[in-house]
Amino acid sequence: MTRRTMPRFRRVMVALALAGGVAVPASLHASALPPDAPPIGMICTPGTVAGSTHTFNLVAKSGTIDTPDGNSVFMWSYANADAPDNGHFQSPGPVLCATQGQTVVVHLSNTLPEATSIVFPGQDATVTATGGTPGLLTTEVATSGTVTYTFVAGQPGTYLYESGSDVVKQVEMGLTGALVIRPALGADYAYDTGTRFDPAREYLLLLSDIDPDLHHAVEVGATYDVNTLRNRYFAINGREFPDTIQDNGSALLPNQPYGSLVRIQPNTATNARPALVRMINVGAVNHPFHPHGNHTRQIAQDGRLIASTEHFGETIGSGQTEDYLLRWDDQDNWDPATNPLPVAQPNYRNLFFKDGNTWYSGSPYLGSKGTLPVGTTSQNLCGEWYFPLHSHALNEFTNFDQGFGGMGTLLRVDPPGGCFGSPTSTGLIGATLKSGAVTALGLADGTYYQVNPKTTTRPTATTAAQTSITVASAAGFPTSGPYFVRVDNEILQVTAGQGTTTWTVARGQLGTTAAGHVTGSTLTALATDWYGAFGGVPAGSQNLKVLYKGRNCGVTTTATCPVLPSNFPQQTVKVCNWTIAGAGGCSNATSTGWTTLPAPPAQPQAVGSTDLSSTWTLPGPADAYIGTGSYKGQIRVLVHTQRFTPTAPVAFSTWGDLMKIVYDAP
Amino acid sequence: MRTSVHRRTRVLVVLLLATFGLSCVGSSASAATISIELCAVTGTAPLPGGGTVPIWGFGIPAATGDCSSATASLPGPQLAVDQGDLVTITVRNALPPGHAVSFEIPGVTFDPGPADAAPGAAVSRSFTAGRPGTYLYQSGGNAGRQEAMGLSGALLVRSSVPGQAYGTPGTAYDVEAVLVLMAIDPAFNAAPDTFDLQNYRATYWLINGKGYPNTTPISAAAGQRVLLRYLNAGYDNTSMTLLGTHQQVVARDARLLTNAFPAGTETIPAGATEDTVVTVPAGSPPSSHGFPLYNRQLHLTNGPQTGTSPTPATGGGMLTFIQP
Repeated sequence: MTRRTMPRFRRVMVALALAGGVAVPASLHASALPPDAPPIGMICTPGTVAGSTHTFNLVAKSGTIDTPDGNSVFMWSYANADAPDNGHFQSPGPVLCATQGQTVVVHLSNTLPEATSIVFPGQDATVTATGGTPGLLTTEVATSGTVTYTFVAGQPGTYLYESGSDVVKQVEMGLTGALVIRPALGADYAYDTGTRFDPAREYLLLLSDIDPDLHHAVEVGATYDVNTLRNRYFAINGREFPDTIQDNGSALLPNQPYGSLVRIQPNTATNARPALVRMINVGAVNHPFHPHGNHTRQIAQDGRLIASTEHFGETIGSGQTEDYLLRWDDQDNWDPATNPLPVAQPNYRNLFFKDGNTWYSGSPYLGSKGTLPVGTTSQNLCGEWYFPLHSHALNEFTNFDQGFGGMGTLLRVDPPGGCFGSPTSTGLIGATLKSGAVTALGLADGTYYQVNPKTTTRPTATTAAQTSITVASAAGFPTSGPYFVRVDNEILQVTAGQGTTTWTVARGQLGTTAAGHVTGSTLTALATDWYGAFGGVPAGSQNLKVLYKGRNCGVTTTATCPVLPSNFPQQTVKVCNWTIAGAGGCSNATSTGWTTLPAPPAQPQAVGSTDLSSTWTLPGPADAYIGTGSYKGQIRVLVHTQRFTPTAPVAFSTWGDLMKIVYDAP
Repeated sequence: MRTSVHRRTRVLVVLLLATFGLSCVGSSASAATISIELCAVTGTAPLPGGGTVPIWGFGIPAATGDCSSATASLPGPQLAVDQGDLVTITVRNALPPGHAVSFEIPGVTFDPGPADAAPGAAVSRSFTAGRPGTYLYQSGGNAGRQEAMGLSGALLVRSSVPGQAYGTPGTAYDVEAVLVLMAIDPAFNAAPDTFDLQNYRATYWLINGKGYPNTTPISAAAGQRVLLRYLNAGYDNTSMTLLGTHQQVVARDARLLTNAFPAGTETIPAGATEDTVVTVPAGSPPSSHGFPLYNRQLHLTNGPQTGTSPTPATGGGMLTFIQP
């Protein structure tokens, strides 16, 4: 193997990326993935589909992989000759996916210095070879030649493909890959109707082992003795831990595009489907694989359903495949407030933090974060759990005999529904605090964050015709855009002078009649506008959900909540889109950045003195709603409530009980 | 590879038993009394690629009681009895001094009696072949060194139902193939008493004592069911891949599986036996030689490896073909 200085630099980058809790920018991604490839989970190579024929173009070639200890290992592998990869070297070979019944055509061109081939173990249909020459196990292609293999995708399942030529050398050198056949039933079924899984949680763990001395001998044309084979690297999807937990397509690993972080959430009534973990052992030794945290249910072996059994350790033989359904049921619902653990939590002095780093949140509760020792850097985002998922042949859980490394990855369990957060601060941008603090919004516990409409006074009397008025204070009123205020039974619209104490107003608005008002009259805003701000949301988060629960009460003074019998205040909950007008776009009640949360439920909603709880979902990337720069990681949620009764205006007060966000952290 | 088209003669007995729902013939009047005599002797075995290696092996003496008329074979002679037979195996120990033979057949309970045979002595072990299946017989003496030297072989107990390995339709077969898997380190064989087993490193990987291209192909026509009786007499859990079709794993350690399953690659633990049934596909096999059956742990070489590519380049080791 060759030692290089580059990998050390690469290690530093990894450390920085981890410390920052950020993903590598997409623009740095290696090319060897489809453009819409998700950062985690199995990725199918698209190929070309024409009718019922699915065609892949592969090229056998040499290249290098990086290992976490700074080595670079010479490999042979299959590359995807189609765009966007255009033959970019990758290890292992591209994941080939086809649907049961499709005719699979694999064109293989050979740039290696010796004849090579592909065999498809587990395909019971005849594999027809076109071109090439007969070899020991299958039809081979000489250097610079091409051969085409054609077969009808048989029973659904997880399979491998690999070299059938000079097998001892070529399989060891890395000429292997995964072949997944999906049932005609649908892509979210592994086999039959009993094997439906969450398609967002489909994982591939392809196990392999590497003796770098042998690879080096092949690289330089030296002799080697396969009888002395000693594996030093043990990979999952071509990477060794901790590289295994990097995203798919990480630019840090340009020739190893496939990550193997397994990520699940506790199953709920609305998310009842398990994850699917497809395992393949392309190595030359059997690997005992051990998931921590929960049993996994083995459903199939070698692409065939078997009597289903649960395991926390299962040996996967050389050349074998096994499929598992993995689910997490939060049976006990431990909660620090309502259902605490019945045992004492460990003293953190007894916990070990590797190099001052930890995945631990500081709290044993899923979705909670706690206190960690001073100086510890937690990679934990929102109280998610991490469990090792690794070979229990512990010499394989190493990189060149140093642990931990090698054939290991992490099982990450996110809180139910995703990460969730509560506001860390509030902003009154068209309201006055009546009582309560931001902490009242953290729990649905009947303690309220209460705000009243903003008020000010007229130092002088007002005539019915007057269109320019001065007020005692403009603080808390919108600084831009037209807005309404009420004096006695008349509504005025402020059309100019916002943000100053001299307002240009239109009189007798909203069906009221212009009238005179005495000195010292109170001007009251028709609406309350306030926001809760959430901190620490990582860039790259997705599927943001906003939950708000609150009520409106009939007066602005009492500690109890008088009933509003009719004409309920209209509530509109908005989120700050930082991309519309930057940081200033959400600074006051009429800023352009506030974006009404999309139905369902439709807005505005009529909210009386009974708490109303609503959840809005913003599917896809949440980056527009996550602040950057000075507002890095901040999400703002605005509650706008307005009420006007034409004949007899009545005061109201807005009470928030719970404001929460839920999101998929990267 | 020993292949034979299965024939049975005691159909009447089987029908009679089936009437009474019996699966074990036990002391049925049909049970034969079988006496088998084996000698544990020194010898040599040919190596793939040429040359020989010293072995200790079982052989059947041509003259009763005379081990000088027995030739050690690798693996030992294939023994076949019928379910229900009363079997007595007499093992005579003609090994060099200091090597007591400890005869055993995992999965078979012998009648009470002596266990070991000292050099020059004999031991007789009797049992009723009550349950059909594939068994490995061996000598467990010298802490495994005797097995590594070659003292093991296949014992087949044929079911009372003709053509069904375990008397069930799922174990029906047309062609039987016995595959005794083992490995050899010639350096060990050259000095079996003194070799440091920490340095054991096999260089030959054999099916029935032969490495490819000397292995015997399994001849079976399309549509025929091939019973593969695997016996892992080696020290390594061994994964065998069959290209072009699945093999139905029907039994392990001479016991019928209640949940038989198809496997593309099957791992046979060291010391274990497994039975699989392969229905030969009608289509063309992947190779012009047939459907490859090979060691997926890449033990496909013969002997020392000193070149830039594993040898022989034309294939070696634990590889054979099912030839339609």
